[in-house]
Amino acid sequence: MEMAEVLAEGVNTVWALTVIFLIFFMHAGFAMLESGQVRSKNVANQLTKNMLTWAIGIVVFFLAGMGIANNFGSAVGGGEASALAMFDAGSQGWVMWLFSAVFAMTAATIVSGAVAGRAKLRAYLSYTFLLALVIYPVVSGLVWYAPGGTPWLTGLGFHDFAGGMVVHGVGGIAGLTAAWMLGARLDRYDASGKLQVIPGHSITFATLGTLVLCFGWYGFNVGTAATVFSVGEGGLMLGDYSYVGRVVMSTTLGMTMGAIGAAAMTWKRTGKVDTLYVANGMLAGLVIVTGTADVLTPMGALALGLIGGLQLPLVFDFVSRKLKVDDVCAVFPVHGTAGALGIVLFPLWSVNGTPVGEGVVSGGLLSVEPGMFAPQIIGVAVITVWTVVATAAVWGAFKAVGQDRVSEEEEQAGLDTAEHGIDSYPEFGRPEAVTDGGAVRTDGGVQDD
Amino acid sequence: MTDGDTELELVMAMIRQEKLGDVKKALVEAGAPHMTVTNVSGRGSQPAKTSRWRGEEYSIDLHQKAKVECVVADVPADDVVEAIQEAAHTGEPGDGKIFVLPVTDAVQVRTGDSGADAV
Repeated sequence: MEMAEVLAEGVNTVWALTVIFLIFFMHAGFAMLESGQVRSKNVANQLTKNMLTWAIGIVVFFLAGMGIANNFGSAVGGGEASALAMFDAGSQGWVMWLFSAVFAMTAATIVSGAVAGRAKLRAYLSYTFLLALVIYPVVSGLVWYAPGGTPWLTGLGFHDFAGGMVVHGVGGIAGLTAAWMLGARLDRYDASGKLQVIPGHSITFATLGTLVLCFGWYGFNVGTAATVFSVGEGGLMLGDYSYVGRVVMSTTLGMTMGAIGAAAMTWKRTGKVDTLYVANGMLAGLVIVTGTADVLTPMGALALGLIGGLQLPLVFDFVSRKLKVDDVCAVFPVHGTAGALGIVLFPLWSVNGTPVGEGVVSGGLLSVEPGMFAPQIIGVAVITVWTVVATAAVWGAFKAVGQDRVSEEEEQAGLDTAEHGIDSYPEFGRPEAVTDGGAVRTDGGVQDD
Repeated sequence: MTDGDTELELVMAMIRQEKLGDVKKALVEAGAPHMTVTNVSGRGSQPAKTSRWRGEEYSIDLHQKAKVECVVADVPADDVVEAIQEAAHTGEPGDGKIFVLPVTDAVQVRTGDSGADAV
């Protein structure tokens, strides 16, 4: 190899591994975020699901998931056939396999937050197995992977930079579908169908998890600008790093405006600034720019982040009160709608668009690229339909054979006891049942409206 | 009872948690420093308050209180009740209640003493 090539490969690998490790650390964030939002009797279950999602998902993705993504992508995108398993991928191949795998595992772990508190462990893990084996590989094969060819949706012009739809949209929509198939937790709706509030056990863990996720997200988004250097005719030159600053800017502005949007909307609706919504808002703001962080104008990052935060309480209310789906950790508004909205609305603020109001701010108040609407909408529609159908089929099958959720007695006792034989907080006293409404509430709280 | 004529009484008070320090001090001054304290929740005249989780409101009608239990023999129960009532008082609904109950006997675990000697 030429000196320049050695240098490029070395630096690129250091950067790729750095972001892989950052993205891996997002599992610590998900573990804290989700366990904080469940009751103290379901904490160990939530933590176990997060660890085993990674463990099982990674092995499946090594043995077949990556290969199915590549080969399915090639089959519909005109590429070449390649190995199913990663045994002989080689040094660089294994780096790129893990780089792909950490994105896949993020999609998988999102679902656990939606089905918290009642799904059987083996049902959830079986779903994770199938998500890593088929559901995610099909989606990513349509958008990112088709060795030697062009992935089908990407060929149509669909643009998803770091997985706003491929990872987060899939996770959020799969979570909503699974929660819908599974039914609500026992106490979530009373006999008349009225919604009961079930507070999680630790706003502290939820916030810690959120900030850990925000940190890891820099790897997720900025790391998708994966090549620092490339080698051209003139020797060493910048690769994806030629635009990396735009990704940094979009990611940061999206995150912060998401928090501001969520804070503003909850303040307007309830007169209080809701801490959990602010935390969810940071993540929704990140999700909404994830798909297009490389091609957004600064106004676009600000606007999309704000929309990501503002839509949260509205969508969550719609899901919990109108659809009556018990999405415990609000994964649909945070990952699903935010992911899809970012993809579909981005042509209003595209760097390749026609600026409107460029005299006011550089890049324009709007920067419209009309030709991008159709491919973005088609991509979101195709991925949504596949995710809903596949997820509903899997959880429907579990339900048909009575293996989808734990018994009522086990749910009342808590999944920590039922599935793990553990009491997460033995020194804090047991969460004994209060009779009114069946809810475990030592403060005697009841729903207001 | 072993010593016949001294009555044992249990003074049981539900008070505001933030008044516990004042009540402890008052009990020392009243000559009845021994006590058991428990975190309890309960409902009385204090109006329900509103709490939220992810922006959804619910009302809390069982308020967190401290339960102070104090068994007295030589010190008159009335003095202990008065001490607690004055120390725990704010004048707002939710100050709590004090109950006095007869106690049939007491045994000190360390010495085996019973009746008033155990208290």
